[in-house]
Amino acid sequence: MLALMFTMLLVPAQDPSVEITRSEELQAAREDKAQHLQAPTRTSLEKALVDFKEKRVMERFQAGFLGFHPMVGGMKTGSGFALGTSREITKGLSASAQVSFKGYQKYEIVYKPGFLNDRFFAEVRSTYRNHPQESFYGVGNNTQSEDLASYRLEDQTVAGQFGVRLGKHTKVGTQAGWIKTRIGDGTSSRLPSVGETFGPETLTAISDEPTYLRSGAFLDIDYRDEPGNPREGGRYAASWSTFKDRGFGRYDFNQYDVEVQQYIPFFHHRRVIALRAKTTLTQAADNHAVPFYMLPTLGGSEDLRGYADFRFRDRNMVVFNAEYRWEAFSGLDVALFADAGQVAPRAQDLRVRDMKTSAGFGFRFNTAKNVIYRVDVGFSRDGARVSMKFSHVF
Amino acid sequence: MKRALNLVLVMTFLVPSTFAQKFRADDPVWVDNDAAVDVKTIAKHKLNDHYDFLLHTFKKPGDRTLIPAMNANTLGEVPDSSWFQNRHARTRMTIEDLVRGPNTGAGPSMNDQWTVIAAKTEGITPGFRIRDSRGHVYFIKFDPPQNPEMATAAEVISTKFFHALGYNVPENYLAFFTRGQLRVDGKAMMTDDTGRERRLTESDLDGILKRVHRSDEGLYRAVASKQVHGAPLGPFQYYGTRSDDPNDIFPHEHRRELRGLRVISSWLNHDDSRAINTLDVLAGDPGRRFVRHYLIDFGSTLGSGSVSAQKPRAGWEYMWEPETALKRIATLGLWDKKWIRVDYPNHSAVGRFESQSFEPQNWKPEYPNPAFLNATDEDSYWAAKMVMSFTNDEIRAIVKEGQYSDPQAEKYVADTLIERRDKIGRYWFDRTSSFDNFTFADGELRFDHLASQFDFSRRPDPCGEWFIFDPVSGTRRPYAEEEIPAAGMFSQVDITSAEGKVSVYLRHSDRGAAIVGIER
Repeated sequence: MLALMFTMLLVPAQDPSVEITRSEELQAAREDKAQHLQAPTRTSLEKALVDFKEKRVMERFQAGFLGFHPMVGGMKTGSGFALGTSREITKGLSASAQVSFKGYQKYEIVYKPGFLNDRFFAEVRSTYRNHPQESFYGVGNNTQSEDLASYRLEDQTVAGQFGVRLGKHTKVGTQAGWIKTRIGDGTSSRLPSVGETFGPETLTAISDEPTYLRSGAFLDIDYRDEPGNPREGGRYAASWSTFKDRGFGRYDFNQYDVEVQQYIPFFHHRRVIALRAKTTLTQAADNHAVPFYMLPTLGGSEDLRGYADFRFRDRNMVVFNAEYRWEAFSGLDVALFADAGQVAPRAQDLRVRDMKTSAGFGFRFNTAKNVIYRVDVGFSRDGARVSMKFSHVF
Repeated sequence: MKRALNLVLVMTFLVPSTFAQKFRADDPVWVDNDAAVDVKTIAKHKLNDHYDFLLHTFKKPGDRTLIPAMNANTLGEVPDSSWFQNRHARTRMTIEDLVRGPNTGAGPSMNDQWTVIAAKTEGITPGFRIRDSRGHVYFIKFDPPQNPEMATAAEVISTKFFHALGYNVPENYLAFFTRGQLRVDGKAMMTDDTGRERRLTESDLDGILKRVHRSDEGLYRAVASKQVHGAPLGPFQYYGTRSDDPNDIFPHEHRRELRGLRVISSWLNHDDSRAINTLDVLAGDPGRRFVRHYLIDFGSTLGSGSVSAQKPRAGWEYMWEPETALKRIATLGLWDKKWIRVDYPNHSAVGRFESQSFEPQNWKPEYPNPAFLNATDEDSYWAAKMVMSFTNDEIRAIVKEGQYSDPQAEKYVADTLIERRDKIGRYWFDRTSSFDNFTFADGELRFDHLASQFDFSRRPDPCGEWFIFDPVSGTRRPYAEEEIPAAGMFSQVDITSAEGKVSVYLRHSDRGAAIVGIER
């Protein structure tokens, strides 16, 4: 077309009596084109993308097949990449099943009554989990990485929760449930089982496998702008739980969780200082102990990122995280972070000078509302660790 | 505004010439009849916006040769066509005409209930299609809940500006209605969140309305966008031509009205100026069918980003600029572009729109646009003249049509448009000689100097030289003493100044001389 137009414009001068007008020239070009019309063509990529959208492939994938919805990731930290499916059985009642490449399994039935209005919320949940390769480095703040061993944790839970929304940002509630735990040898071929490395004084309740009745209450004040990718606001959550050992009377304990998050934006929210403090404290009655697999843990992609998952565990844990996040372009944030945390047998033993520290950088592929994929590289005395997750750190 | 300063250059008519190929008998052409060839068959084309982004971001579609616009007439103006109609800048419209814009009525009839015939429930922008008692079909679009009035005002205001500027746009009306105004058609279908098509119900409609802002009086505010006449064919591209449209012979990236749209988009902050927001329709009667080209969807203009306030990056940076991203990463975010420090008003109905930091020359849409990238100084000069054609009062009158409930918001938007207009004029009139508005009468060539007329700069001293121009050979020679051009001859006047040169061409006839060409 371009060549044609140039040709037309370069027609040599003619006798005035036969000179065609500009309009006639354009008309001639159009009539000429009319003789050579072609149907528009598309590249295969364009075709594929048009079809993808037209046929609503993504929506249909999310909607599932015959009521089964796909689930990607979302299992416990350390489980590896997981796939699963969920299905709504009747309104409010749904079931799900997930399996990871490391053999972790989770099956769950959830009932959320539909008769409550927006002010109240409630749910009943029955869960079976099988975690065959849980990491264990011992108990305390000075465990060695070479002591890593594994164990299998199986538990069954039936739990209920009821709460009320006190406003747009605040909710309080209570929860109760029954938990049956079972411990076994880890299935990892690379690691010894915990029983081979640690003695019963460390592996509290390993042979008893107590059954618990759990009850508690929680308060959650959340005014983050986008919970999936916050840039402004804060979250303040506290909960209390009591675990009553129904079989042996030796493993009763209380657990207190407090978490504070604060986000300080600047430069149109394209820079964010993100801060978090989080602690879990347990308190066992006299002559009672907390099973080793229920002790608060520290380390990994969610808190102390220069260390391996569950690198430290003890009765009490505290961790502080600070991140400076900046936008590289719409869709990617970069972060520099510093973490400090500690576990200790007594709350009064938690001290800044004893804290384990790590620092690093990360990339967060995101939308305005969610982090889709996160890569964090953390450095600590244990070395460097790369963690990849389908969710934000906080 | 300063009174126009007319400059006069006196000439003496002399000597004859021959006919011209550079200038045809019908130059300057003011109407390009691109509806002349009947469109017998034409395909409906669907565009994938992700593909469009990838194509324009990672490839360079279209011809990027730096050549003058191909459809401009010999005066440098854009002839009327199925793309563009000269309006306010050529023949001044009254305030009433400007505020009416493309509208032919008062919007959807309120005499009876509207019938909802289709709905869009997925995505973040809910909306639906209605038929009123007159049988007219409208698309109903809402403001984001956190920014009442913002997107609807932007859509209505920008529609009127684009119309006055000469582009084809839909009739967009502000509409206020209650839930009782709506009833769902028994055959209405919708696509739900799972991608499945099913019947639309009254409760689906309630669900849509739950997601939009409702006033204390129970009124919903929306834009009712009337379906344009003709069969929709899908969007047009900003490059190439439609291979199945015989009338589409100028590559779009070389059309002056599309190249100049960059300057106009910078004024109105239309960062969403891309193919997905255009529409071709098959218009005309059987045997005389042609394609008419529309700009649609102005929800992402001014301070509105359609679904939220405009992004602070909008107008400053493409979505993907690898060099910029790498610089940010390498400097730990200490380096950034100017927009990161721009202050915007804290007004939910306005969104992010300002004039203080606005730089017309650096303005960018969401991703590269071939026509914008091909824009020459002449294209931008043409567009700047269009923008400058609006007086302060005209701008205020059009902005009033946005019906902001807060007079401060209305004033702010109008003031911002006025300041941005002046920045555009100041910059683009300085890029080339702004001697313009040429007329020839009584042996005198008269003209204005636009930059000084608008107080942007001091008028430079012009120097005029007259020549006899031979359009066949393209050569010229000085007038001989006592030479008087005969009918059919051409004169060339070179007006030089510190700003550069403008050449004006005149065709002489028995009735006198007429301006047939302007070159900058």
